[in-house]
Amino acid sequence: MRLFLLFAVFVVLGLAFESAGARIFSFRSLIPNLIIIFAVDLGLRHHGVVPAILAFTMGYATDAIAGSHPGLNAFMTTMVFLVSYEISTRLMVANAGVGATVVFFGVIATALGTVAIANGFGALSSTGPMLPGLALQAFITAIIAPFIFSILAVTKRLTGLPAGATRDGHGRERRVEL
Amino acid sequence: MRGSFLWRNRVLLASGALLILSLHLISTGVHPGDLAARPQSAFLEVISPVTGAFTHLSDGASSITRDYLELVHVRDENAHLRAELARVKSDQARLAELEVENQHLGELLELKNALGTNAVAANVIGSDANGISRTLVLASGTDNGLRPGMAVLANQGVVGKIIAVSPKASRVLLVNDHNSALDGFDQRSRARGIVAGQVDDGVMLKYADRSQDIRSGDTIVTSGLDGIFPRGLLVGTIQSVHREGPGLFLGVKITPAVDFRELEQVLILTQPPPVLEDQAKD
Repeated sequence: MRLFLLFAVFVVLGLAFESAGARIFSFRSLIPNLIIIFAVDLGLRHHGVVPAILAFTMGYATDAIAGSHPGLNAFMTTMVFLVSYEISTRLMVANAGVGATVVFFGVIATALGTVAIANGFGALSSTGPMLPGLALQAFITAIIAPFIFSILAVTKRLTGLPAGATRDGHGRERRVEL
Repeated sequence: MRGSFLWRNRVLLASGALLILSLHLISTGVHPGDLAARPQSAFLEVISPVTGAFTHLSDGASSITRDYLELVHVRDENAHLRAELARVKSDQARLAELEVENQHLGELLELKNALGTNAVAANVIGSDANGISRTLVLASGTDNGLRPGMAVLANQGVVGKIIAVSPKASRVLLVNDHNSALDGFDQRSRARGIVAGQVDDGVMLKYADRSQDIRSGDTIVTSGLDGIFPRGLLVGTIQSVHREGPGLFLGVKITPAVDFRELEQVLILTQPPPVLEDQAKD
């Protein structure tokens, strides 16, 4: 419940920042995709059913303020969570560098996946002009990701939640560096 | 229980179920009144005041930064003059802002009177959060009489239509979004087509027959046949016409009349346009 409330606050602030920022900055690529950072943090550090539901809910909340097909962002955010989870269960160390890399590819995959699902895979051939801006947004998001991970870790500690160590599906503890 | 297959793969199974639920939502769509639309409306309702606050905060911060940079150059002046200057500048900026807002609202009022239909004005408080789609967030919702499907206009022309509402906020799908489409025609040659947004931010006039006399610089207006936009509203001007290559239709690129990044106030038609018999025959 604490995890849910904590992420609810971060998601509301993150989405409000992204929506207001998109209106203020004419160059949209400068606004990082904070929801992907939150989804990656959940996937790398919180292994369970509740974090999966939380990732889906974050995406569904994003659908309320972004995109034209309800369910699209929910799908992509859950997918990013799942990929992050799979990576963290296969790597011995899931540090901020790994997180930032997953965030970088997560932002690009989310955008292209959104276009492909909404318009068909044929529409991907028209995405050439948006790729430089998308790569810049992914880079900026990846750069700030470690900082956001740290903020999340501090607030988790303050609220008494586990911030670092996680357990895999077999009950073995994985070491997570922040 | 802990060693069982279900327990070991609980994250994968839960995520898989949620992915299937997402695909179900995408394929069936969420309609106003659906159970699935309620959380969306609630999210929008919760997020819109925070978005508004962020917008006001950043406006204030940029105003303070601007004032500070100007004051650096008048450091030699005494404190009274600097304070006076800041106050006057602040008042001037506020008055200029009010003047611009007044002008916008005046133009929207003229448009409303010209259309002769019920309409309400709304402030734009946000844009699409992830930038893949082209949508706007308005600070008006069902409390102001807004409903999904209503036409949204600016004094320059067509903006889009409402796709989601909550009591105090709503979202607009812009005409340059790749999921947007409306019925329009070339005002000079009367050639009809579907005005549709593209993934790369452009707007095209689709399904215009190759035999049609469509030229660059022609004006595209709404036909009124879609039952959302009244007939004759400006959509944009034709940027280029491609006749080369195979296919039945022309490749017509349109420059929208409205600069969507500069929108501050918009007009929403709360009453659907009347469908005239001669429109249908045209």
